[in-house]
Amino acid sequence: MIFVGAVGLLLGVIIASLLLDIPLPEEWAAYLSLAALAGLDTAFGGWRAALEGRFHADVFVSGFIVNALLAAALAYLGDRIGVDLFLAAVVTLGGRMFLNLSLIRRYYLNQLALRRQRG
Amino acid sequence: MSDNKIYQMMVFFSIWLVVGLLLGLAFKEQTRIRTAELPSARLPELARAYVQEKQSNAALEEEIRQLRQRINELENAFTSGAKQAQLLNQSLQEAKMIAGLVDVEGPGIELTLRDSTRKPTGESIEQLLPELYTIHDYDLLRVVNELRQAGAEAISINGQRVVATTGIRCTGPVVFVNDVKMASPFTVLAIGDPKTLKGALEMPGGVLADLKSVDPKMVQIKLLDKVRIPAYSGSTQFRYAQPAPPQEVKP
Repeated sequence: MIFVGAVGLLLGVIIASLLLDIPLPEEWAAYLSLAALAGLDTAFGGWRAALEGRFHADVFVSGFIVNALLAAALAYLGDRIGVDLFLAAVVTLGGRMFLNLSLIRRYYLNQLALRRQRG
Repeated sequence: MSDNKIYQMMVFFSIWLVVGLLLGLAFKEQTRIRTAELPSARLPELARAYVQEKQSNAALEEEIRQLRQRINELENAFTSGAKQAQLLNQSLQEAKMIAGLVDVEGPGIELTLRDSTRKPTGESIEQLLPELYTIHDYDLLRVVNELRQAGAEAISINGQRVVATTGIRCTGPVVFVNDVKMASPFTVLAIGDPKTLKGALEMPGGVLADLKSVDPKMVQIKLLDKVRIPAYSGSTQFRYAQPAPPQEVKP
């Protein structure tokens, strides 16, 4: 699972930085970053779900798309009405990412402990 | 490995791929913005342009000075003949004196205002404010106002003649006087009765009292027998105002 994710991530970054050259308006840059953050959050969430044995591809994919769009849309709305709504997205997504990462870490630590007990 | 498991792996892989794409794009975009915002590579170029601009400014000012001189000469030549015209020329010279378009000299004072070198110390909140330790536009404005009230006939700040259209304004760390940038120390020259001018500035509770209470070294006054104050060197063109026709006075 880690291996598949890492390869995908690496490949994506390489493609984006070397092959893709999409000139984006500067105002979009913040929304793009936020969408990337939302995507990262969903990906960690999917990882955790996979470890807990309740991974559903449809939930995962829809969550990924909707979260990314929602985060960007929320930030855009915030910009329009003069409230830093993107902070809400950053705090929520960041907090959840830390939570998911800690659960993933615990899972692997448990596995390690189990293997030691058996071995 | 079941088909379902492979399917899940593929979905997982593609999502991470897209996350990677988004992150890569975002990273590249941010880098592009950051490098576009701060053109540190262009700094030497900007410095050169700045120096050039400054030089051409000096050249233009010299040109203005020469043209003014030429006008003076023409005026003199024009009026040298007739007596009446001579009187006219006299009143013209007076008007130019008032407008600050000629160099003048006479007894007066030299006031130097400089930012304090002391660090904010003290017990009261007022003494701890860092802006009290620097000279501001309002300090200069109050000094100029006080000097005028005390009968100063000509005033200059760092060589810039204070005339009727002079603006004195802080912009960040510098002060603009006649649209010329300057910073501490400020040398204010004034022509008038030296003792009166000094007395007016040093009045208890007056314009310099606050500065002196913060740091006495910020203020320095010299009485001089002879002060030379340069003419106003900026533009004298009026873009909006025109002489108005005489107005009928209604009873």
